[in-house]
Amino acid sequence: MEVMSLLQNTTSVLAGSVGTTRNMSRMKKTRPFWQPKPTRTLYPEELTPSNEAFGSEVISDHLSSSSPLKCEPWERGVWTQTSMRCGIIARKIGVYPMWDKNGRRLLTTLLEVPDNQVIKYIPPEKLLETTHNKNKNRKRPMEMGALVVGADPIDPRLVTKEYYGLFADTGLMPKKKLTKFLITPDAKLPPGTPLYASHYTPGHYVDVLGTTIDRGFQGVMKRWLFKGMPATHGVTKSHRRPGNIGSGGAKARVLPGQKMPGHMGRKKRILRGLKIWRVNTKYNVLWVQGPAIPGATGSYVYVYDSWYHHCRHTPDNPPPFPTFFQDEDNIDEELYHEDLHVFSNPSISFNE
Amino acid sequence: MLSAVPRRIFHTFFRKPPAQRVTAKVPPYIRDQDSNTDNEQPLPHDFRIVYPEFLPDPRPEWRNRLRERLERNDMLTRRSVVAIPEFYIGSIMAVTVGDPNASDKTNRFVGICISRGGTGLRAWFNLRNVIDHQGLEIMYEMYSPLIRNIEVLRLEKRLDEELLYLRDALPEYSTFPLDMEPELLPEGAPVPINDIKVKLKPRPWHERWERKNLQGVQDLGLPQRFYNKAKLHEKPWEKYDLMMEYRATIPEEEQADIFQEIAPHYQQLESSRRQSKRRLAQTSRY
Amino acid sequence: MNVVPAILRAARCGEGSRLHTSSSLQHIQKQTRLRVVDNSELGKSAMLEGRPPRCIHVYNKKGIGRTGDKVLVAIKGQKKQAILTGCHQDQFPLMPKFDSNNIVLVDENGSPLGTRIHVPIPTFLRKKLTDMSRPKENEAKYCTLPFLIDHS
Repeated sequence: MEVMSLLQNTTSVLAGSVGTTRNMSRMKKTRPFWQPKPTRTLYPEELTPSNEAFGSEVISDHLSSSSPLKCEPWERGVWTQTSMRCGIIARKIGVYPMWDKNGRRLLTTLLEVPDNQVIKYIPPEKLLETTHNKNKNRKRPMEMGALVVGADPIDPRLVTKEYYGLFADTGLMPKKKLTKFLITPDAKLPPGTPLYASHYTPGHYVDVLGTTIDRGFQGVMKRWLFKGMPATHGVTKSHRRPGNIGSGGAKARVLPGQKMPGHMGRKKRILRGLKIWRVNTKYNVLWVQGPAIPGATGSYVYVYDSWYHHCRHTPDNPPPFPTFFQDEDNIDEELYHEDLHVFSNPSISFNE
Repeated sequence: MLSAVPRRIFHTFFRKPPAQRVTAKVPPYIRDQDSNTDNEQPLPHDFRIVYPEFLPDPRPEWRNRLRERLERNDMLTRRSVVAIPEFYIGSIMAVTVGDPNASDKTNRFVGICISRGGTGLRAWFNLRNVIDHQGLEIMYEMYSPLIRNIEVLRLEKRLDEELLYLRDALPEYSTFPLDMEPELLPEGAPVPINDIKVKLKPRPWHERWERKNLQGVQDLGLPQRFYNKAKLHEKPWEKYDLMMEYRATIPEEEQADIFQEIAPHYQQLESSRRQSKRRLAQTSRY
Repeated sequence: MNVVPAILRAARCGEGSRLHTSSSLQHIQKQTRLRVVDNSELGKSAMLEGRPPRCIHVYNKKGIGRTGDKVLVAIKGQKKQAILTGCHQDQFPLMPKFDSNNIVLVDENGSPLGTRIHVPIPTFLRKKLTDMSRPKENEAKYCTLPFLIDHS
């Protein structure tokens, strides 16, 4: 029955998105088809201060209420090598260096996991019903369900009714960021389950999907690293232009894929096979290998278990499955990879 | 430099009003329970001078309070293992690092600090010395775990912010013996300023030093046309550019916040700072 | 004293202020003049005559020599191979940056022509140079003090 409301919302959204104008195909802002428009235009509602305060009080009470789980806990699946776990939504908060036990410096990107919660589980048969699913066209559709995960609570007074409807059944506060992770049915989680940074452990590998920094309409020198033309020697008004874009003769046209000026950035880019070096379970922060995670500081990224074959989990080193239940188990505040130098340890010394 | 009055005026009139916090939103940065407001200490006047790397990079697109906080925690943890003493550009220092290729697996280098930079865990400084008539410079990362020990042999300041011109100076101005003894500095004494005037070698130089407004060099002895050209490149308006100063610095209110965060560790920082000074005094008695 | 910390100054000017666009990147590439710092006859006479060797090839894929790389130099009308023992360009942390581009001449078997080096060298080259030199009496003494200072 939960799915019904989602589908109803979906239809209304699809109807609403038809009339949107778009000028440049690359510039369009897309939402997933199942997500209604989150925010609405605010207008003065002329609430009295006491009413305003009462609203805030109700919201904060709701936020601080203990367990958001409305249903009984589900039976937890057992990890096999074909299992696919849920991912998490994280926020890129910066880059700083760490050192390994040999004194080699490595740059790590810090990803904060802001209040992730499972919103909904969509079983495989329901997922196949949705029209925008490539899996449906396969001869033998994969047995894949989906988990809708949300991050960062948002003030319910700011969102639209349709968007709030996504959360109404689960008794959760609306979330600022929503996404759907494909999973195998054994990795399903009941709505309201919180996901923490301890979903990943140091030494595991992840793929990180982010949206690159928007650079707007750029010329060929910035966009494709062309050389431009000389500053002098008779060059006029062509110092940063591309020059020739094609030949005559039989190919008297511009070939597809010719590098030209245009919009640069704000594309989904995925960086695969990044090692997790360190996890902070108090502030829910992951230290991920490398400074090159797409997106600006503060932008959302999606973190998945790595897709590379050599980076996958093995039976010797299984992941917490379906997730790590941090509220039930004790866990250290800081988890380090075994090769990483811990700052509280003494300086590195080399033995003879 | 940061004169208090224009900053305050600036903040009163031009500062962006704080964004209205949504009631239901859980802010990503929550202060610890132990840092209660009763024990708030006044910001020591020399905090930003002694510990400049505790202030984050002011570039707004790189700021994030949680990241800065985690970084400061790591810095304090590292400082509890290896004391990083107070030093300035112009101080003479000795650094011992672990080195797998050296015969005793450690490596000690003595030199004058000619530049210093970076914020947070990226903080670094450059030491310069002339050994066997060969000028040498080594860059050290302050929080690298390879560093075993940092000593300040002579704590002093110079007249300039950077001493990169020592590369073009006569070698005796950057020659320091490797077995140099730490020098005495009385308790509570201000950091002395060495107003030595360095003699540069004749051109060619690494940079056009006549344009840098250097205080610590002797007469450069250039033809007048060099000074005329330098005059054209002067930017005397920059010291009045409030916006530039705002972009390049952390506002005083935020500095106070940062200090409040590390206030529980401040006693330890200060004691290690005093100890290193006292050690200087003791060792120099022999 | 009104000294803006260098950290703030650097931020004010931007990282770009450190970037030089002139020749002061100090790359060691073809045609770069180098300085022989060992006591080989060839090297000493070339330096005394004011005809320092010129790099005519760098044996790596980049064509830019870093500390420890092998180069081919033209010295007094001969072609000789040499090891770079110190570079003037900006270095990584803990790698010494020298005021001159120093080389040690080696023969075609890779053993040094001289027996002493007059200037400090980075410690990681100590093993490399001693491994290269063939075992014989009165072999080059590469010192262990900071970046090698030979006091013997």
